[in-house]
Amino acid sequence: MPSIEFQRPKTVEEAVALLAGHEDSRCIAGGQTLVAMINAGLVAPKFLISIEEISELRSIENKDDSIRIGAAVTHREVASYVGLLGSNQIIREAAAVIAHPAIRNFGTMGGALAHGDPASDYPTAAVAADGTVEIAGAGVRRTVAASDFFLDYLTTALEPGEMVTALILPRASVGSAGHYLKFSRVDGDYAIVSIGVTLTLSNGVCTRACLAAGGLGSRPLWCAEADAALCDTRCDDPAISRAARHLLDIADPVDDVRASADYRRALLPKLLRRAVRNIVSRQDAERADG
Amino acid sequence: MNIEEHFTIPAPIERVWAFIRDPDRVAPCIPGCESVETISATSYRSTIAVALGPIKARFVVVVEITDEKPPTRLTCVTKGEEGGRASMISATSELRLVETSEGKTEVHCTSEVSIVGRLGKFGLGIMKKRAAHLAGEFAGAVQQRMQVANA
Repeated sequence: MPSIEFQRPKTVEEAVALLAGHEDSRCIAGGQTLVAMINAGLVAPKFLISIEEISELRSIENKDDSIRIGAAVTHREVASYVGLLGSNQIIREAAAVIAHPAIRNFGTMGGALAHGDPASDYPTAAVAADGTVEIAGAGVRRTVAASDFFLDYLTTALEPGEMVTALILPRASVGSAGHYLKFSRVDGDYAIVSIGVTLTLSNGVCTRACLAAGGLGSRPLWCAEADAALCDTRCDDPAISRAARHLLDIADPVDDVRASADYRRALLPKLLRRAVRNIVSRQDAERADG
Repeated sequence: MNIEEHFTIPAPIERVWAFIRDPDRVAPCIPGCESVETISATSYRSTIAVALGPIKARFVVVVEITDEKPPTRLTCVTKGEEGGRASMISATSELRLVETSEGKTEVHCTSEVSIVGRLGKFGLGIMKKRAAHLAGEFAGAVQQRMQVANA
């Protein structure tokens, strides 16, 4: 195997300069996917830039209007972060079911987003959470809505020389709830199909919905029509079925070792109903307790 | 892995056949095709680059036409590898042209492809989607070039 040069910059600016200055360079954080891909010979970076020592990427900031999860924050840290409430609980739930504990101890938000695997957990959850991906390039920072960030299999809106610096979540509104439901063959596997749902309920009526589905195409499925189908309803079965049909209209699943494309399609409405019901019954229980 | 694609070209069958049998005209329509070299009247060597996100590959392939019945049917065998034999690809393909009534030609491709080596570890499901996407790009490029030739 050819040798790989390795650097540990202390700031985002240094990291971006290193990215721009070296051909075949990549950022590495936990390396849980990247190292496996290098070992399999699928990618062969010549220059790895560790982002682990960049302090601004290592923290979760709870601001007045948003929550910013740094790119180097591990899945375990996100899964145990109690500040992710209401709709943002979806991100905690997604983090808690990514692979295994050992991988969650190393794998990071930035790595999972930048990898852009539509069968992985964060992309679907980030879209349903109405999240925004923060990106740094040479001399500039920009943000891209999660629903615009994932473009194709392993392909994101990141341009050469850019890196993911954070996922930014809007502050959860009162009455909002979030849920990530993953259906896989065994614990720790990639999803056959996954569902991300955030809802705001007011006296049992849905006033805002954001639905996303993973494992059903080259990017997380999301469409405004599906969200609209649930709004102003009591999240009854016909409304959920209408939403599912809108998502199926844009689905393009693969046949693979985990499941056939037809099976994935058949799962979508069932899992969407289960996910929405889980939220509704959870909120009912909270009301009864409160 | 079996790949099946079909598309329609708005041109008579003879013109479509002539286009597809001309390596200099068809090569620019093949996504990622960097060069084509004619070895004989029925065999060609080509370099084709493919990418899926960060995964990039460049294959040198030899296409050997094993049978042809102008202007309706062609079969060929494709064999190739990446530099350093990192992965090897082989395919048996059949191309069928059917003229529909209004002077349009339907092109049907079926291909049995096998890939071994580093890319063989990659999900076949995604590769099939990729192949379908590339076939769509190819069809679009052929249509565009033939329309320009018409004008």
